[in-house]
Amino acid sequence: MLRGTVRDMQRQSLFKTAFIVFFVTGLEVGLFILFLSGFEFLGRMGPIGSMLVGNLLSLFFLGLGTMLALSSMLTSYATIYRSRDIPFLLVRPYSISEIVVLKFLESCLLSSWAFFFVVVPFISAYAWSQHLSLLFALWTLLFSIPFVVLCSGIGALVAMLFVRWSPRGNLLRYLVVMVFVAIAIATAITVRDTKHADNPNMFILSSQLIPGLHLAASPLLPSWWTAEGITSFGRGAWNRGLFLLTFLTANALMLTMLVELVGKWTFFNGWQKVIGAAGRVVIRKPLLELAERGLFFLAHDVRAIIMKDARTFLRDPMQWSQFLIFFGLLGFYFSSLRTFRYDEQLPQWRTAIAFLNIFSVSTVLCSLASRFVYPQVSLEGQSFWILGLSPTSMGRILLTKFGIALAGMLVISVSLMFLSTHMLRLSADMQLSAIALAFCLSIAVSGMSTGIGAVFLDLKERNPAAIVSGFGGTLNLVMSLGFMLLTEIPFASLFSLRVWEKIDAHHFHNGIILAYAWLFALTALASVVPLVLGRRSLLSRDY
Amino acid sequence: MIHLQNLTKRFGDFYAVRDLSLEIPAGEIFCFLGPNGAGKTTTLKMLTGLVTPSSGTMSIAGLDVRSNSVAVKKIIGYIPDTPFLYERLTPAEFFRFTGDLYNVPRQHVDQEMEEAFAMFDLAQHRHVLINDLSHGMRQRLAYCCTFLHSPQALFIDEPLVGLDPHSIRMIKNLLIEKAKAGTAVFLTTHILALAEDIAHRIGIISAGRLVAIGTMAQLTKQSGVDGNLEEIFLSLTRPGQAGSAASA
Repeated sequence: MLRGTVRDMQRQSLFKTAFIVFFVTGLEVGLFILFLSGFEFLGRMGPIGSMLVGNLLSLFFLGLGTMLALSSMLTSYATIYRSRDIPFLLVRPYSISEIVVLKFLESCLLSSWAFFFVVVPFISAYAWSQHLSLLFALWTLLFSIPFVVLCSGIGALVAMLFVRWSPRGNLLRYLVVMVFVAIAIATAITVRDTKHADNPNMFILSSQLIPGLHLAASPLLPSWWTAEGITSFGRGAWNRGLFLLTFLTANALMLTMLVELVGKWTFFNGWQKVIGAAGRVVIRKPLLELAERGLFFLAHDVRAIIMKDARTFLRDPMQWSQFLIFFGLLGFYFSSLRTFRYDEQLPQWRTAIAFLNIFSVSTVLCSLASRFVYPQVSLEGQSFWILGLSPTSMGRILLTKFGIALAGMLVISVSLMFLSTHMLRLSADMQLSAIALAFCLSIAVSGMSTGIGAVFLDLKERNPAAIVSGFGGTLNLVMSLGFMLLTEIPFASLFSLRVWEKIDAHHFHNGIILAYAWLFALTALASVVPLVLGRRSLLSRDY
Repeated sequence: MIHLQNLTKRFGDFYAVRDLSLEIPAGEIFCFLGPNGAGKTTTLKMLTGLVTPSSGTMSIAGLDVRSNSVAVKKIIGYIPDTPFLYERLTPAEFFRFTGDLYNVPRQHVDQEMEEAFAMFDLAQHRHVLINDLSHGMRQRLAYCCTFLHSPQALFIDEPLVGLDPHSIRMIKNLLIEKAKAGTAVFLTTHILALAEDIAHRIGIISAGRLVAIGTMAQLTKQSGVDGNLEEIFLSLTRPGQAGSAASA
């Protein structure tokens, strides 16, 4: 996989590579500044802030670790059981254990690339704000590798046991239910931890502000070992740090051994079960047929592509299950929003929380587009010749894909933004700005993801996670997040300056008009240019 | 019906097809033979618009393939050697999807589906995912869908791969029938017996160059080999032979 990515990069022009390196660096620096401002903001809050900063690292690893374990359940299922090279490997002189460990490591790589993408700026900002040495980054890397293996190992183990002993039928459907149950339990624990309003303890007070803080401080969790180990090295407590690193690594290795052992016992039967689910008659869905009739106003070829994509999506468990998990995590986020007593906070706090929410929802939307919209042209796979040969133009195919993505993204983004801003009881002008940002973000990321997805077309890869984690997928995510920062920071700055009374109402008003103009111009540019490039790339390609 | 003039496809320094000129009238079954990597599939893909030629011109029914691509696609049908179809659709859904792409009225599609599925023995599998069908069944489905919009020119890459003897006989008869009805059929194959059985004319390509073209009698004359098609083919495609008979 790594060799493939390097080969991908070598195939690109020097300008393109330089452009991407520039953007990735820019984004990492942008995220660094954002995190740093957050830490400095917390630093100015006095004792509560210091308490939060002290526990934020373990909360950060708890959050990332949970997401990693959840996504690893599905990535492991796809990588260990659904890879096309499994039959090839099974007839070669490799033991089942070797194949399982190889596929598990591949799954770790596929599910953890975004982890490192976020860890670097967060840890750098943390180290900077705490005046720690550069070596802190090295300690983080040392701890992150066993942490990733451990979290992915938990996901892989659950997936393997589940495939082997679940009832026959749609295995992934049951697996998704399990993931939802896990999210629900996590939500319940978090909400329980925040219901100590009468307790004057400062830690509990801070837990009310940031749900999960109490849970993250538990020394039984690997996230705490990681955070505590990193900070121990950072402050020169070598013995404690080394103990925690050894402890974490030992647990990660034990998990790998367990994966190998469980794989040895269960893999072959599980794999037989997965491939033996063939030949089922598909039950016709009246709702889909009704939807098809409802699209009568569209051109015949556009309607055909939409319905084909809808059916393919609904019958691809890897696609819809991850889609549902996104919503599960959003449910977790929204349940946390309820714990904010927004009205009781200072206006400065209110603005900060409002824009943190806008950034969070926007980040989710960017991830959603990167994960589901970007690979949609590539997922046509080797069947793309059917569309290529049909009497419709490449531009029309691409626009149809854009339209499908945009319709979905608009519904999700505007409703999410409306819901979250409503729950936080934001002022009308802030709500309007948030919804406008969500609207424009949907257009821009749909255009970017569809266009860049066409430029970096990979018709041979069937695993969406592998398509997304390639060179083009990374570029797309970076560009989407870059767009988000470039358009949202002006609004956040203006509202913050106003609330801190650094600018008067007149200047604020003019600034907002300029911010809207900037937003609309950048949206047009970010959506149209990638689509034009994507169309050009599809036309010039041999199939 | 199908016209190619000095068609060339180059991948870097490698010529997959070089200066290919051909004329295939309506109602003819033209069979393209050649060793592996000779340029047969590339030629077919250029004619169907899936690969862009490096130079040369090509037209179908008087329409330039590159400048009138959408109009050309309405009147052609293509069946690749490996039928990659949408695996998460059922044959019935795929058939309707094809009909919608080509704007065939739904009533006609449903009627055609009944006949075609009965003919190609797919009726009992119509609601099973394509993913779960065998290679031969997928190939038969690809035939069903290709004939749906009644193409004037048919391009078939290895028409008999994965088919059972019963289906082979049926496909052969079907292609002959289509040709009689005025369809130009351009097919590539490694099965020389097929070419001998159904082709009106045969073209032999080697290392990207057309080395011989004509009826069986004309090929015998061009090659100077008094034998069956296998002997003619082997004598014309021997390493180092490519190009020597191009002028013939």
